[in-house]
Amino acid sequence: MINRIVIHGYRLFVNFEMEPTAGLNVLVGGNEAGKSTLLEAISLALTGRVNGRRAEEELNPYWFNQALVAKYFAAIAGGETPAAPEILIELYLSDVTPDVQMLRGVYNSRTEDAPGVLIRVKLSPDYSEEFAAYMAAETRPDIVPVEYYEVVWEDFSGAVINRRPRGLGVSFIDARTIRSSWGVDHHTREMLGDYVEPKERAAISLAHRNARHDISSNSLAAINDRIALEGDRLHEKNLGLQMDQSAGASWEAGVVPHVGDIPFALSGQGQQAAIKVALAMNRSATATAYVLIEEPENHLSHTSLTRLIARIETLAGDRQVFITTHSSYVLNRLGLDRLRLLHAGTPSKFSNLSEGTIRYFKRLSGFDTLRIVLAEKLVLVEGPSDEMFFERAFRDKHGKTPMDSGVDVVSMAGVALGRALELSAAVGRKVAALRDNDGQQPSHWEEKVAAYLDPGMRELFIGDPAHGRTLEPQMLHVNDDAAVRALLPIKADAKPTLEWMAEHKTESALHLVESNSTLGYPDYLARAIAFVE
Amino acid sequence: MNRVTLAVAGSRKTQSIVDACSKGDSHTRRLVLTFTQTGQAELDRRLKQACAPAAVPEVMGWFAFLLRHCIRPYLPLLFPQQRLHGLNFEGQPSAGRYAKGVARHFDASGRAFKLHLSKLALDASKASKGAVMDRLSLIYDEIYIDEVQDLTGCDLHILEQLMNMKSTNLQMVGDVRQSVFDTNPQDPTLKQYRGVAMLDWFALHKKADLLEIAYSNETWRFNQAVADFSDKLFPPSFTFEPTVSRQSEVTGHDGVFAIYEADVLAYIAEFKPVPLRESRTTAAKVELPFQNFGKVKGRTFDRVLIYPTVPITKYLTAGQELKPKTACGLYVAVTRARHSVAFVVPDPAATKLRAWRPKHRMEQE
Repeated sequence: MINRIVIHGYRLFVNFEMEPTAGLNVLVGGNEAGKSTLLEAISLALTGRVNGRRAEEELNPYWFNQALVAKYFAAIAGGETPAAPEILIELYLSDVTPDVQMLRGVYNSRTEDAPGVLIRVKLSPDYSEEFAAYMAAETRPDIVPVEYYEVVWEDFSGAVINRRPRGLGVSFIDARTIRSSWGVDHHTREMLGDYVEPKERAAISLAHRNARHDISSNSLAAINDRIALEGDRLHEKNLGLQMDQSAGASWEAGVVPHVGDIPFALSGQGQQAAIKVALAMNRSATATAYVLIEEPENHLSHTSLTRLIARIETLAGDRQVFITTHSSYVLNRLGLDRLRLLHAGTPSKFSNLSEGTIRYFKRLSGFDTLRIVLAEKLVLVEGPSDEMFFERAFRDKHGKTPMDSGVDVVSMAGVALGRALELSAAVGRKVAALRDNDGQQPSHWEEKVAAYLDPGMRELFIGDPAHGRTLEPQMLHVNDDAAVRALLPIKADAKPTLEWMAEHKTESALHLVESNSTLGYPDYLARAIAFVE
Repeated sequence: MNRVTLAVAGSRKTQSIVDACSKGDSHTRRLVLTFTQTGQAELDRRLKQACAPAAVPEVMGWFAFLLRHCIRPYLPLLFPQQRLHGLNFEGQPSAGRYAKGVARHFDASGRAFKLHLSKLALDASKASKGAVMDRLSLIYDEIYIDEVQDLTGCDLHILEQLMNMKSTNLQMVGDVRQSVFDTNPQDPTLKQYRGVAMLDWFALHKKADLLEIAYSNETWRFNQAVADFSDKLFPPSFTFEPTVSRQSEVTGHDGVFAIYEADVLAYIAEFKPVPLRESRTTAAKVELPFQNFGKVKGRTFDRVLIYPTVPITKYLTAGQELKPKTACGLYVAVTRARHSVAFVVPDPAATKLRAWRPKHRMEQE
């Protein structure tokens, strides 16, 4: 398994280091956090290929970290002679199998004795003169001239890798639609190949050759005869039509998988992903030691996703799986302990979660844990009415919504506050948690979650029990009863305002926050707003 | 347990490796090492014939083994900036024997000098603090070494490290009497164990419980007369077991003979022997398609004709003891022949060998 990933200068990674674990690694992060790039980098170092093509053919200036490139050209402009930008991707492995131990040595950036593989994109020594001339040219753009670069694929024993080492089989399942003109992308084709025995391959190849020969010698013969008659008018030698006999015309190019009666490329996108996962499972753990899955939730209905996740869990039994997702459901189901958080090209460390909390969120898999995980600043409230009042109070104070200020307000909707606070603490989020006092002193509630509280980082905000048990009496305490009542659709002779509000919590909140009237807010709400500023 | 099998010529040493590989567990990871290129090609061919395709062991030359497994993986720990770019087979450091550090081991293009390769391997292994051997033991379950007598100097220290690997078994076969090649001719390390004296080195490690020594003294190649002659080439102090021949074919001209130089053409006409000599300084003016002793190692011929050097002639006539190196060369030459060996000497009657004369001469006399 891969127990360390080191990336320097590749796309948005400047100095990236991560220590993945055995089995599942669920990569989570906002947009531009580098999730897909990380999968791409792993695949690149394991296979020497990008999208099924050799890295050298795909190399382009945008592989280089743009900040480092800008720094390089700025230094050049300043008269310095910095080293040309390079890319390094290293995968440190821990297997003690013979195939993997072959890759062992100290040729890595840590000079560590470990098996591993690396990709290094560096200036080719053969082109150092051309490169110097390019850099000296007056009209040169600030772009890395990749045509003078080489891609070196090596193992940690210092040996250049010419073909993919045994024991490093990888299946890459991306949710993107088929791009290959062959109807199936490279990785899927490779997996499909496992279904066909070498003897069967030979038989298909022969039949395919015969069929093409048959077309050439029969259907095309008559045409060629006719062309030959007119031949001298076309060219000195006879022009003729033959079936393509080149390697590109091998049977693999003409045989595409079908699902039911529908070609794979035309089947639903969700189904394609499901099939790719099934194919990866079908391969032996040695043929596929690593599985990379990109956003499995795309294009899948909830039930299909549930089935897919069960498969992924099986898949992870004896393989190392890297999976990116934007779905809290996927994360909760696969287990929060599997979470690997990425933020702007760096992995965030977080402490261990309790078994109980991991199980809790597996059960309550609908809860949006990703919002807790990804929020910059977080406000936890009990329910929708609390959420609405908080938002309105925040807007009154700052003139913009909490969301616009990078504050995510999450309604717990029955999820235990302690669990959510544990998760927030684990990922190191700043949290203001609001709750009703339910007739108890704030200290009573604070003691229950004391382990996760941290002054200035995670605090509880609770109303004074003297001003009511829940938010509604607390609101009435700081606002004039008649003024509030006027904003609510209560008949004049109906119940007292508080009683009606308690019975219609969400509706009363909606009416109040949508009104144009000035509202007062309980002190603990104001303190919470000040806390997350 | 590690084992060295000391075998006589023609005892199917290489075949014993092929058998062990093809008959053993097909999941065992095996590496087969030998010194000469011809040896490698031959081993590779025979292993591919004998083993299932998935179970063909890896065959590697000794120098490639040192480079790939002992030197390269941990070289940065020894010389941080130095990359390995192959082997410089014949060159020498430009500062000669006084070259130090990187310059002692690498030429300007990063090729390691063969001259000091074993020492470099030893140094790299030391710098790795055991990782070289640990890595090897995780890759291979069994390592076979053919023609182990060719390994000398620092290579013996490497052998010792290989013997000390916990999970990998080392199986060596060789014949110290055929010590005509040498991996490190200029290395003074462990000089006392060069050539036939390698026996003492094996005995030392047997004593340390690192090694079993087995003897294989049956030959399928040559007849008993040739066997007896070959046994006597070394002084009795070496205590080799007598060679037993399993080859009992009778051709009418079997055994070891002495002939006059004047009879050579007649002898060649009658028996078509392969002419051999120690080096081209012997019989320099004789126009025969000679091959040197060292070149024919591993080969089999029906008959050989040997032009001896002066010391060999003295051995044949006066029984003067041969130097070990000379004895080894002669042993190789003699043991190529299935049926007969003939020496060209000034006076056949002065040797203890059977003299041969062509019929017309005998009639004349």
